[in-house]
Amino acid sequence: MSKKYKLKVGVQENLRDLTVEVNDNQPRPWDGSDHLKYIGKEQTRIDGREKVTGRAKYTFDRQLPGMLWARFLRSPYPAAVVKSIDSSEAEKMPGVYAVITVAEKLPMTIRFAGQEILAVAADSDCVAEEAVRRIQIEYDKKPFVVSADEARKADAPRVYSGMNSNMRETRIRPEDARESDYDRLLSGSHVRVDQTYRTQVQTHSAMETHGIVAVWEDARHLKAWASTQGTFAVRNDLADYFGLPKSNVRVITEYMGGGFGAKLGGGIYYIMAARLAKKTGKPVRLMLNRKEEHLSVGNRPDSVQHLQIGADRNGKITAIKLKSYGTAGIGTGAGTSGPARNIYQTDNIYVAETDVLTNAGPGAAFRAPGHPQGVFALEQAIDELAWKLKMDPLEFRRINTAGDERRRVEYRIGAGKIGWHKRNPKAGADKGVIKRGLGVANSVWYYIYGRGFVCSIQVHSDGSVLLTNGVQDIGGGIGTVMAMVVAEELGLKPTDIEVKIGDTQYGLGPASGGSQTTAGITPAVRDAAWAAGQRVLKIAADMMNEKIQNLELADGRILVKNKKEKFITWKKACSKIPGDQFTVSGERVKDNHGLQRRTIAGVQFADVSVDIETGVVTVNKIVAVHDCGRPMDRLTIRNQINGGVIQGISYALFENRILDRNTGVMVNANLEQYKIAGSVDVPQIESVILDVNEGQSSTGAIGIGEPATVPTAAAIANAVYHAIGVRVRELPMTPQRILAALDQTKGVK
Amino acid sequence: MSDSHRKKSGISRRTFIKGLGLSSLGAATLSGEGLKGTLRGTGLLPEERIVPADGTEATFLVNGRKRKVRIEPRTTLAEVLRHRFGLTGTKLGCGRGACGACTVLLDGKAVSSCMTLAIDAAGVPVETIEGLQAKDGTLHPLQEAFIEHDAMQCGFCTSGMIMSGKALLDINPAPDEQEIRESVSGNLCRCGTYPHVFEAIQAAGSKSGIRKTK
Amino acid sequence: MRKFEYAMPRSVDEVFQYLENNAAVKAGGIDLLDRMKEYEISPGRLVNINGIEALRYIKNGNGLRLGPSVTLAELAASKKLTGAWRVIALAAAGAATPQIRNIATLAGNLCQRPRCWYFRSADFHCTRKGGDTCFALDGENQYHAIIGNSDGCVIVHPSAMATALLALDAVIVIENGKDSRTVALADFYMTPAQDIQRETVLQADELITEISVPGTMQGWKSHYNKLKEKQAFDWPLAEVAVALQMDGKRVKDVRVVLGAAAPVPMRSELAEMVLKNSVLTHELARTAAGEAMENAEPLSENGYKVRIFKTMIYRTLCHAAGMDPFAGGV
Repeated sequence: MSKKYKLKVGVQENLRDLTVEVNDNQPRPWDGSDHLKYIGKEQTRIDGREKVTGRAKYTFDRQLPGMLWARFLRSPYPAAVVKSIDSSEAEKMPGVYAVITVAEKLPMTIRFAGQEILAVAADSDCVAEEAVRRIQIEYDKKPFVVSADEARKADAPRVYSGMNSNMRETRIRPEDARESDYDRLLSGSHVRVDQTYRTQVQTHSAMETHGIVAVWEDARHLKAWASTQGTFAVRNDLADYFGLPKSNVRVITEYMGGGFGAKLGGGIYYIMAARLAKKTGKPVRLMLNRKEEHLSVGNRPDSVQHLQIGADRNGKITAIKLKSYGTAGIGTGAGTSGPARNIYQTDNIYVAETDVLTNAGPGAAFRAPGHPQGVFALEQAIDELAWKLKMDPLEFRRINTAGDERRRVEYRIGAGKIGWHKRNPKAGADKGVIKRGLGVANSVWYYIYGRGFVCSIQVHSDGSVLLTNGVQDIGGGIGTVMAMVVAEELGLKPTDIEVKIGDTQYGLGPASGGSQTTAGITPAVRDAAWAAGQRVLKIAADMMNEKIQNLELADGRILVKNKKEKFITWKKACSKIPGDQFTVSGERVKDNHGLQRRTIAGVQFADVSVDIETGVVTVNKIVAVHDCGRPMDRLTIRNQINGGVIQGISYALFENRILDRNTGVMVNANLEQYKIAGSVDVPQIESVILDVNEGQSSTGAIGIGEPATVPTAAAIANAVYHAIGVRVRELPMTPQRILAALDQTKGVK
Repeated sequence: MSDSHRKKSGISRRTFIKGLGLSSLGAATLSGEGLKGTLRGTGLLPEERIVPADGTEATFLVNGRKRKVRIEPRTTLAEVLRHRFGLTGTKLGCGRGACGACTVLLDGKAVSSCMTLAIDAAGVPVETIEGLQAKDGTLHPLQEAFIEHDAMQCGFCTSGMIMSGKALLDINPAPDEQEIRESVSGNLCRCGTYPHVFEAIQAAGSKSGIRKTK
Repeated sequence: MRKFEYAMPRSVDEVFQYLENNAAVKAGGIDLLDRMKEYEISPGRLVNINGIEALRYIKNGNGLRLGPSVTLAELAASKKLTGAWRVIALAAAGAATPQIRNIATLAGNLCQRPRCWYFRSADFHCTRKGGDTCFALDGENQYHAIIGNSDGCVIVHPSAMATALLALDAVIVIENGKDSRTVALADFYMTPAQDIQRETVLQADELITEISVPGTMQGWKSHYNKLKEKQAFDWPLAEVAVALQMDGKRVKDVRVVLGAAAPVPMRSELAEMVLKNSVLTHELARTAAGEAMENAEPLSENGYKVRIFKTMIYRTLCHAAGMDPFAGGV
């Protein structure tokens, strides 16, 4: 059974009517006409107190009685065969409990420097570390390749023997496309850009490293605290590996210190910790150290992108052709074509993406996989095209995204805040040594949500409310948003709601990736809260002798609509709950109308200064204008946008995983020479959240995590061009690269 | 050495340090003495001048509480706090003094507890994130401001940020933004909460009621 | 980190009796612990000199006398470091992080080992560690030496304090319990050609007991600048300290010191010769900066540092002289 509702949807300043059909067991979706008490306002975190007092317990902080400390032994060589292992010395050491190997038998093939060979469990970290150092490994070293350019060559050593190339099959879109058709379109264009852009490998570098504390409660029950973005994925991996029913494995992530995509999947360390725990009969803690974190648990693949874009006389894009190569080390998934396919309006888009294998740690999803890379190329090429046409780069974008109302509004807001129209229309025109420039770049990501997530709400006769779901908070503050949704629906305060999350014993929750957590879970929360509200309203209706449809929940009361003086309190109504308490649940179901793969639009403007005598780029200001559907908590959204921007600045200017060309070993596997933006590097950041209601789900929430980091590096690159009149087509834009770019135009001094 | 003797030596040391006061730092004395002490390594330790590698018993003054524990010379302050005293609010992000997650106040100064030997901190007042809250549960103005301004995301760097902020506000209750940025320049936040951290420290500073004339 | 015993002398005299059994002197311990955690070294004993109050002072009288255990934070905040001495405070304030400056000492900074990523990593047995390969020479050398890099090791010396103090003709007092010797800071550091495994002349049984600056430097003008890729905690691409003795507009005497340029902190005599006895103008500062880089021989990846040094030398000269470097044109 379903009901129809007429909603106000669209960009807030220009709402339109839309009729949607919603299941009977769901409320009327929030839309642009709803002015809510908590949703869309600023709400401080419900667990803020735990975090500022140091009481929040992370996996890293778990200490269990009798717990052992585990350490890996990793290969120092990028390509080798492990012929023999002698761990007798280590096993004799007092305090060493177990040594186990990753491979069941030797020889074992090593494909990157840092690959796990074995793990030791001991009664202290020092002993485990020392034990690892006493293990003798005999390696047969093999030729290797760590540079993507080298790896593409026909005579390069193979990362996987048996493959006839290090290049994986190229993905071409459209699948049946003929490249020559696009070449024809491009060569017939009035203007054309044909350039190559390069981006580096970036490591996630979450402050809390990857790790787990595993304990076997008995031979058939495994419990683990894990620093993960996907409690359920870890549970499933562990259950699979040990042949346990999923019901017997419990994974808990009460607090976790950041992930950014690297903690989505399982990992060898989960399995090894649980194996050690099983073997020793003791709890085992296996947290990686900072070096291991850089080497082995994920990174943003690098890219070489050959991009061609053509435009006609009027500034309309005629065709886009992207050929991209990226390396995720021994892994795959280094595509960059999302932006090229999803921002600009042209039917003629050809992309060919190739993953290149190298002897380096595997890539992993990293905050908008492929997109900061793709946008760095695309948005610079778009800029180059606009400059060639002698058009305002913003106007050029306006023309080619004309059908997107969100972008139109975002351009206007952002341009106003950065002072776009006051900028010098010439590039590199500033006098003096410090040159200032403005740049713009579009962001794109997608509305993604999973289904089947279940939230439970328990309402007790004392009026207290407990909300449970297995989802973990990776720092975005999802628990707070969930409390806000319940409070909004029940007329209570967010702090009235007890929220328990991060435990696979609760209902299925989304993995925190793809900016889908809020979109995935909040409708289930609201539906559950709505059902709870209906139960309490029914009780109240009997108590007040009113029809349920005349009642509403607000301010801790059940009120008669339009007769606000007649009410009973929430607590009083709850006191009549039969049997002391009730539990209802809400399940994330399919949206009421189709938005799947709707893009999330955003735009960022950068104001930079470039010192042309030192090559140092200083970001003065970033204006970030973003759509995230219906905003939930503006305070935490702003914080996430800031974070996305700062990670983008760090990617643009500093970060670079450096593998020694001669040995294949990472030389900056620390937080000193792997350079991450710090306090002094942060510019003024002004964020604007565009309210866009779609009414697609009961909350209308969409995500913000990824979109906020996608365009920053490209906006900075475009601003650098505006400042100095020279393109820097490679990341990071270090003084070395800026000076080299300047030299190219002037001739070396 | 008796317990009472240990106590006496530690406290007298503290008294000495306190009595010196902050103003002496800037005093233009020709004698040149008067540097405020940190890490003198003469804290509440046994009298022997050589502590064996297997360790010794040492007394720590953590958050105003005296705690005695056996340590090895190689034990870091971070390890003692986290593993022996259960004060896990102090985090470790790199173990090499490059990220600031382990920041605590040692005799009032922000230090990386991962690069500080515990033995050097024996007898010296140590303040960790757990010590900021009043006994009745009232939060320190910095803690309140961090919540109010949402100066955290994952929260793993937050303890260190707050401790660095406290080191600043204790000597400069109304810092400007540049001073604030500098004070947390040794604290990495991968989530990128810096703008809110700056706001929070500024707000906590102005809550102290002292306005800086600028 | 391996186990070690811990000696806690209360006086300088006491220190020397503990300097045996594979002992290492520890002051702040920042550099030492970093290398111990990497298992690059594993001393059997640390001799903690931080308990010796007598090693910790800033005395300003006829010249400047600094205790070796004074911390970088204390130097950065010291009100005594004005005038010519300001270069010391500037260098200290710009080093490392606030947390490290609170612990790291002056002598520790002077004696720290190189930050070369090959030297620092247990994965590489380089020439400085007794191996036969300088991995940086044909490897990732973007942060390495542009001068004096042809002797089998291409590190840059990382001490900011050395760069500053060298501009003030600092002198180091070294004791071993029996004798005391005084070494000019310029002679304290050793090039790879002199000894590829050590950066200083300090022996294992010796202790720095004082760093002093002669009174003759009083009245000089000084400045210190560094250029970093990242502004919050980063090692410099280039460091420059300048001390100027002016006679009106004429440079009577001058020190131009380059850090992060060579395996040792070094004075640029080439630049000094250009400046001495000339009227200091923007043009002259440019010429001197260019001259300073005449003997630069960059490696495969660090040619850009030459340009940066030229800029930083020019700017630091301007700053020291009270001239606006941006008023001089490009």
